[in-house]
Amino acid sequence: MDLQNLNPSSLKSRFTARFLRALTEINAPKTISSSSPREIFQRYRRIKVAADKSMAYSVRSRRIWSRATLWRLRTRSRSRRLVSFGRRASVKTRTTASHGKENKEHHGAVLGVQAEELRELVPGGEAMDLCNLLDETAHYIKCLTTQVQVMRTIANLYSIE
Amino acid sequence: MASGGNDDVGFKHQSLMNCSSSEMNPLCDKVDGMSMSSSICMYNKPWNSSDPFFGSGWDPIASLSQSESLVGSSVVSHGEFANSHYPLPMENQGIFGTSHFSQYQSNPRFVELVPKLPGFGSGNFSEMVSPMTLPQSSQVANIQGFPSYSLNHDGGIERASTNCTQSREDRQISDGVVGAASNGKCRKRVPESSQNADVERQKDPSGESCDVPKRQDAKKLKTKQESGANSRGKQVAKQVKDGSQTGEGAPKENYIHVRARRGQATNSHSLAERVRREKISERMRFLQELVPGCNKITGKAVMLDEIINYVQSLQRQVEFLSMKLATVNPELNIDLERILSKDILYSRGGSAAVLGIGPAINSSCPFSSGIFPGTIPGIPSTNPQFPPLPPQTVLDNELRNILQMGFDSSPGMDSLGPNGGLKSGL
Repeated sequence: MDLQNLNPSSLKSRFTARFLRALTEINAPKTISSSSPREIFQRYRRIKVAADKSMAYSVRSRRIWSRATLWRLRTRSRSRRLVSFGRRASVKTRTTASHGKENKEHHGAVLGVQAEELRELVPGGEAMDLCNLLDETAHYIKCLTTQVQVMRTIANLYSIE
Repeated sequence: MASGGNDDVGFKHQSLMNCSSSEMNPLCDKVDGMSMSSSICMYNKPWNSSDPFFGSGWDPIASLSQSESLVGSSVVSHGEFANSHYPLPMENQGIFGTSHFSQYQSNPRFVELVPKLPGFGSGNFSEMVSPMTLPQSSQVANIQGFPSYSLNHDGGIERASTNCTQSREDRQISDGVVGAASNGKCRKRVPESSQNADVERQKDPSGESCDVPKRQDAKKLKTKQESGANSRGKQVAKQVKDGSQTGEGAPKENYIHVRARRGQATNSHSLAERVRREKISERMRFLQELVPGCNKITGKAVMLDEIINYVQSLQRQVEFLSMKLATVNPELNIDLERILSKDILYSRGGSAAVLGIGPAINSSCPFSSGIFPGTIPGIPSTNPQFPPLPPQTVLDNELRNILQMGFDSSPGMDSLGPNGGLKSGL
């Protein structure tokens, strides 16, 4: 199983490389551990964004959720500079609205509640029909597990020092 | 990026080939192959929309797994290809033994056999498949005339049930998880087999790359075989109409035709709806195998709840880990991270070993690679230790690779940390 990790362009490798790079950039300015909670919180946010971003970039917008994540991140960064008034998910979903909901009315009502919840969880899920939503969910789960695993490894290795 | 996981896929694929050849059942060979190909067509549709390579890629896959048992085995083939990514996240969790996630870790063997939607490894598939089986694709194109249709529907019940039983046997021969999944599918179909339960075709104008001649052959066969039932007659008309449409349409368009079951409405809407439902339940089954601990759950609502919980827990874990990284990080060294990147990638079973020689790595790094003239004072272990360490030779290559990789790919490393000596252009 270790041999499978050797692929330099697997999702895991791509994500790891990107994420580590981002981590070094985040940690670079601070050489001394800053224990103030505010700074830690800021770093936490940056690391979280870096994690999501690196995962989304590793997927390369092949997936709806990765595109939605990247869009969301870009919009957020933009809206932070200009005091945002209504950066809503509606802007993001315009790009994915092409799928339509032609079949949703037939069996969407059966699983409507949970489908809505899932849509909220998976980025970009608002405008997907159930079939694609399940597709995206599966890939999203896979990427999340990779992300969690890599981050856990990093955290463990760091905590050893 | 498209070549990602290529080797992994190749690995699994070879094992797949071995399995399939050894378990081939000569009786249902042809039949299964046909149904296999038709199911492959079905799978082709949604995923090729995202990846244009797929259409050409899937035919060889169909031919490769043609000897395998039935419709369910297409799931196997998917699973094998897709596997390469799954065992890694699943298996690693046991190592760190973190909290509740250990319970989520199902048997890695199961994960390996997870039927995977080809869309996940779409890039991998095209890379892997195209060099391997181009000649086979042409064979497949010729063979895939959906004669399974005739085979399935001629004898009506008995044929279909025979098909299913054979397929069931074959599935059982193949791995258990996949067999379970396929069996579920087969059992679902057997009671419906009395109603011409060949639902492999779905109509989807989203465009796919089944061959046009194949479809036309199928239609001809179907039209020849049609007899009797109203549903069949209607299906013929429907298919002929579809055929003409598809003939005019783009050559890559994939029309999978659904046969209406006896006693069910042959309305095009209900047919499409049924197709949709099949697809959704297929994906639900796949997700069921992806989410740990969901094997016993039947029912979409409960399953969806589980999926939602799982996704939420994963997201929370990411947040928690990023918080942990925020608090733990500040002393971090760049060369350490470069080392760690490789360790992280390799660290399924070797994490313990990695952790054990962590300090050794730190100390050996500046001396073996010679790239870092200075060490960040934050790590006390690096400076005082000069003697070469026994694992150094093993680590040297890794370190050099990592460092090369890291430095080649990281333009932002020019000025890092307090150490002005660290340069990326080495």
